[in-house]
Amino acid sequence: MIEIIKHSVRFVLFLLAQAFIFNQLEIGLGIQLMVYPLFIFLLPLEINIFASMIVSFLLGFGIDMLSNTYGLHASSALILAYGRPYLVKLFEPRDGFDPGVELTVYTMGYAWFSYVFGIFLLAHTTWFFLIEQFKWSEFWYVLLKTVLGVPLSLGVCILIQFLFLKKPSKR
Amino acid sequence: MRNLIAFFRRFRIFLFFALLQGIALTTYFNYLAYPRSQYLTTASAVSGQLLEYHNDIVKHFQLAYNNRKLQYENALLRKRLANSFIRVDNNTVLVNDTLNDQQYEYIPAVVINSTVNKRNNYFTLNSGWKKGIKRGMGVISANGIVGIIHNVSEHFSVVRSVLTENINIDVIVASNGIPGILKWNGMNAKIGSIASISNDLPIKKWSKIITSGGSGLFPRGLTVGKIKEYKMVEGKPLWDVSIYYSEDYRKIQNVYVIKNLLLKEQKKMESTIPSDIEDDIK
Repeated sequence: MIEIIKHSVRFVLFLLAQAFIFNQLEIGLGIQLMVYPLFIFLLPLEINIFASMIVSFLLGFGIDMLSNTYGLHASSALILAYGRPYLVKLFEPRDGFDPGVELTVYTMGYAWFSYVFGIFLLAHTTWFFLIEQFKWSEFWYVLLKTVLGVPLSLGVCILIQFLFLKKPSKR
Repeated sequence: MRNLIAFFRRFRIFLFFALLQGIALTTYFNYLAYPRSQYLTTASAVSGQLLEYHNDIVKHFQLAYNNRKLQYENALLRKRLANSFIRVDNNTVLVNDTLNDQQYEYIPAVVINSTVNKRNNYFTLNSGWKKGIKRGMGVISANGIVGIIHNVSEHFSVVRSVLTENINIDVIVASNGIPGILKWNGMNAKIGSIASISNDLPIKKWSKIITSGGSGLFPRGLTVGKIKEYKMVEGKPLWDVSIYYSEDYRKIQNVYVIKNLLLKEQKKMESTIPSDIEDDIK
């Protein structure tokens, strides 16, 4: 129960943060910061994939409604929700995940988190810009935006965890 | 039949994914081409209201710049007021002006949401059809043109800004009247481009670009920008012209929606052109 409330609050916060703060930042070179992939990444591992897809779809659509992208974010968020179980399984530690673990920087370590979440973000951003431009002739521009944007987004997502997540006590 | 059910059971996750993905992509591409309702855009009541709150905070960030701009514009308008002129000739009689008919009216509005870093950028205004805004009207600011109304609800409207790929506003080079079509290449919010200027026509760097007024959306002669550079297009007899916009779209707040009172008449006259001739012109 408390998990559901926690994730609902996060849903709203990530929605508002992405639409009103990160989508409004003008960094230049077409870079866009994406923080809502972090929400999808932090969903419980045990969650039903249908539920996670619906939640991501709604999150994406919410952001779309507030920034006039009409389904672009929904599409990219859906890709993440669909791919996450496969990705996480691919990078499962040798002795498996602890039950009920949250895939944060603290629990998984910097190297694992940056690596796996980096791939996660890369897939998301590439899809997002490809659909947005929708022209092969602008492929290099898409590549530039992706390559510059992903490390920045990764940094911001790690920073968010430092600022807002409690460090779990050592067992 | 059993195989079919087995197939659906086996691929149910992927099918569900494909279904949702289909919904998202169809809405995206449909809305890009033509918006059918305002519920999924920032023109809807809930998002519009949220963005209004957001704008209440953010509008102060550029306050000094915008105030200066408004002040400048006020000064300019004040100069044209009747009481800032001195009567030189006392013999004339003031009559109701029948020489000039009002053609354009301006509806003031405030941009409450805008982006400049996407491929196609839309601005949200805090006025809707209650104030007389309709789809397809032109939008300008004090320094230049802004875009065309894309979608309207009761209290809000979404503008397809000049920072979209196919904005296609007809413009001319001010000094010699060469016509062109305004486009945007998606790279930089300060730089636009003009297509379809034939390369046997002489153009000069830094010449002013203004609206042509041909489509009836904008009055003739509004500043759009200045020519930054021009190059040959490979394999086509055209110039590739890029321009500096005269307006800084990253800071834009106060805009005016243009209502053309004679648009109906113009459209009616133009609809009498036989269609086969029109095809020849294109």
